[in-house]
Amino acid sequence: MKCEWVRENITLHVYGELADDARHELEQHMARCADCAAALQAEREFHALLSQEQVAEPAPSLLTASRMRLQEALETAEQGGFWQRLALDPANWLRQVRFSPALASAILILGFAGGVGTSYKLVVHQPQTSSPSVAASPAEASITGIRSITQEPGTNQIDIKYDTVSTLETQGSMNDQRIQQLLLFAARNNYNSGVRMDSVDLLTQKPDVSQVREALVYALRYDTNPGVRLKALDGLGGFVKDDVRVRDVVLEALVNDSNPGVRTEALRLIEPVKADGSVRGVLMALAAKDQSTYIKSQARTMLAGLPEID
Amino acid sequence: MPADVWAVTLAVGARTHSSTKSGRVERVSGIQDPTRGRMAGQERRIDDTILIREAQRGNRAAFEELVRHYDQPVLRLALHLTGTEHDAQDVYQDAFLKAYKNIGSFRFECSFYTWIYRIVTNLCLDHLRRKTVRKEDAPVAKDASGGEYDLLDQVPDVRAGANPERDLMRRQLGARISGALEKLTPRERMVFELKHYHGLKLRTVGEILHTTEETAKNTLFRATQKLRGQLADMR
Repeated sequence: MKCEWVRENITLHVYGELADDARHELEQHMARCADCAAALQAEREFHALLSQEQVAEPAPSLLTASRMRLQEALETAEQGGFWQRLALDPANWLRQVRFSPALASAILILGFAGGVGTSYKLVVHQPQTSSPSVAASPAEASITGIRSITQEPGTNQIDIKYDTVSTLETQGSMNDQRIQQLLLFAARNNYNSGVRMDSVDLLTQKPDVSQVREALVYALRYDTNPGVRLKALDGLGGFVKDDVRVRDVVLEALVNDSNPGVRTEALRLIEPVKADGSVRGVLMALAAKDQSTYIKSQARTMLAGLPEID
Repeated sequence: MPADVWAVTLAVGARTHSSTKSGRVERVSGIQDPTRGRMAGQERRIDDTILIREAQRGNRAAFEELVRHYDQPVLRLALHLTGTEHDAQDVYQDAFLKAYKNIGSFRFECSFYTWIYRIVTNLCLDHLRRKTVRKEDAPVAKDASGGEYDLLDQVPDVRAGANPERDLMRRQLGARISGALEKLTPRERMVFELKHYHGLKLRTVGEILHTTEETAKNTLFRATQKLRGQLADMR
């Protein structure tokens, strides 16, 4: 093992490339092992043999000729400019940006400048050239509305305040305040029912939070999509017993909802509180004259299980 | 003449830059100072840094001065690797032209020495690869004028009473070694060349060839094993 290691490192030793500790170890071994000592001697002889082939210094005439030829070529050569450097080595350019906090901040600020609530000052030099394209050019797609247009008296300065929207992204857990706020906003306001569905679905994980329950109640009452209402109903189910407001809204859904699925689910949810006065009243009304035979029969069954009231 | 070139560089430096910078240039431009010997290496580095910065600003005289600091070993390496004056001159020319065109992207992340050697070794490796593909079987080397070229002719024989017999033996030995070197792969040849004939540290060789010191060690080991096999009968 030791001899094998030594043989592998003899070359590096001869070239002076062994680390100090390895060199010491190798020399110690050489003193004890005649075979390895002979191998080292052979390596040195071979090294000396190769060194007999000498590398000639270039002749002065060759060097001079090369320099002159280069000088001639340099006269017509052009150095790569900034753009060429950027094109050739964008990674290097990016690295510089990364390590230049000032530049990075400047770019960030510039990005924000194009963001929400920009105050855009337009200098009108010539009335005929003050085309709307100037105002529309920077972010036409992101302008949501013009707040005000004022001209400072006696000057040609026009001050336009306009709003823009830009797509932003945020990430976080359900416990994150920002995420909750966005979900609540989405549950009430989004025109896309898929997004409302997703947000209500996520909000049902946090029905303890009063704002969340409020949003679920809102969704159950006013959302146009039955799927979203059903989701909201599921989220509220656990509070039928303890929260009178929730009970009322579930009863409301049971009586008024246009979707039979939502009504059936509402009926199932109020089962544990069927003895409650208001619930009993609703059940009696349903049992008497509901359009849906299923709801009518279920209401009757539930009422039958209740003790008689004097 | 370098001193003249420096006068140009000085004038440019003094005109476009602060007085402190031109003062530094003056210090390295050849005014005698008895304490300079100790710090020669460091000053050379400062010297190079100023030259590089000047060259990056488009000062051709500064670049030409920089070339003079490195071109002799570059030509020596190219000459030994390519075997002909003509090819060596081409490598020299291409390397320094490339360096001139790209000096703007030199960011001082490695030494200029490593940077210029990277360019040169890449060009030499290309040359060796092309040579391998062409399967040139030990062509007779030609010099720039088309005459037969022998590397050993370039070594001045300064020994007193040099005898023709020993000279012949040296030539034969040289031819055998050259033949053995040509049988190495281009990369093995390059590592061996830089280590054995140019005395570079393997760490530097690794940096130049964009690889690790460990890989350079393994390549050197492989190269010497192959050479030993080729030259076994000569020991």
